[in-house]
Amino acid sequence: MGYIRKNITLIIGIAIPVLMIIFVAVSIYLPGIFIEPKSNFLYISSNDGYNSTYKYTIQNKKLTRSELPITKNSPRVLKEVKIYIHDIATNKSKEISFGEAQELNLNSNLVSPDGFKIVHGGRSDGFFPFFIWSETDYSTFYVQGRSISKKLNLILTSLSYDNFRFIGWIE
Amino acid sequence: MATKEEVIGYIKTLAEQKILTRDEVATAYDSGSKIKVDTILARKLGIAEILYYIGGAIIFLGISILLWQNWTILGFGTKVLVTLGSGVAAYIVGLLFSRDEQIETVGSAFYLISALVMPIGIWVVLDNAGFKTDSYASQSFISGVMLITYLFSWLAFRKNIFILFSILFGTWFFFNFTGWIVQGNPLFDDWKFSMYRVLVAGTAYINIGYAFSKNERAPLSGFLYGFGIVGILGSALTLGEWKPNQNIFWELIYPGLVFGALFLSVYIKSKAFLTWGTLFLMAYIIKITSEYFSTGLGWPLALVLAGLSMIAVGYMSISIKRKYLT
Repeated sequence: MGYIRKNITLIIGIAIPVLMIIFVAVSIYLPGIFIEPKSNFLYISSNDGYNSTYKYTIQNKKLTRSELPITKNSPRVLKEVKIYIHDIATNKSKEISFGEAQELNLNSNLVSPDGFKIVHGGRSDGFFPFFIWSETDYSTFYVQGRSISKKLNLILTSLSYDNFRFIGWIE
Repeated sequence: MATKEEVIGYIKTLAEQKILTRDEVATAYDSGSKIKVDTILARKLGIAEILYYIGGAIIFLGISILLWQNWTILGFGTKVLVTLGSGVAAYIVGLLFSRDEQIETVGSAFYLISALVMPIGIWVVLDNAGFKTDSYASQSFISGVMLITYLFSWLAFRKNIFILFSILFGTWFFFNFTGWIVQGNPLFDDWKFSMYRVLVAGTAYINIGYAFSKNERAPLSGFLYGFGIVGILGSALTLGEWKPNQNIFWELIYPGLVFGALFLSVYIKSKAFLTWGTLFLMAYIIKITSEYFSTGLGWPLALVLAGLSMIAVGYMSISIKRKYLT
């Protein structure tokens, strides 16, 4: 007890950064134990950005597609994109056909019924103490809401900025 | 034999006549009580000592350039030998030199080489093992290993320089480890999170500096106070942000922090607190004036007010220094 009293400022000095580490870790991992996102969702990914053969929309909660005409302005060879369903509980994606996707009831709101949305992750580089580079990481996605965020293991067919397009939450 | 009261009375008389200084009394006490004073960081740096440290830094540069220019030619074993090998060798040479008080400072230059080169050695090993070396995880590992190395070195040899290296590597570890926990998480604003980390590190530095000021590690206090107060006031000022995105909490609490620093400068007798407190108070006056008063009163009048405030702050700072710190 005498040692603690004598060295109280030293103990406080060492404890403050340790407490911050604990606080940051707890604020990230603890809410995730009690709050779980529940809505699965549908997304598309293409290795050729937006050069899709089809335009995908949701009408009356069902997925529809219309063929995009090849015009003089877009003479590129258009490719079919892949459709994936993401199971939020297992954090795994599975490719499904357009026919299978059409059978699902979809909600095109950006925020899910249980209050979550899908956002990009961030990336910062540099060596201590020069952590000055911070930018959006287009290869990582998180489901975020209600004070928590969880990294999503999506299947992305390219690393370009338009490699992911959210279609809708599955009802 | 004079009594204790007589000796204290005599010291008082000599102090009043400015014949005896506080340091001389402390040195005499330490000498008599057999406290071994670590002179490496306590001694004022002369030309020779500065050259030792510059030499150490140049050796580090030489090793780095050798590695960089011949990265593809050198094999893994050679790279490890050049970096980790020379780092360990410099550490051992430092230990040997430290045994003789005459050449102790040369030993500290070798400790500096080891502290600079050994992290590169670990970096080379991680790179060869296929790890992403610029990641937070790798940097946390490197700084963690170095922190443990120097903490054990301090426990074994009780030298202030090992405490200094432990604090530096500990800071590196703190920033990287928290970065590793958070990395990419959209809940954390990268920039604000960095500022809070600087604030925490600054607070820790000041607390540790104050604890050290009362024992044989007192030479480290000045360094810790200086960086600590810059960290706290700099991050708090930055967290206040700029109109229209200003953070009212930090803008309101900031004067309290600055005046707290100025008050503490007298209490802990720190010129770093007084100097940085004064400079950051001036920065705050300029910020607030340009943020809120440049449109209402007009920019020229705001500048006059800011100038007068700064003259007042400067006068107050010099008065405090003359009255309490000299």
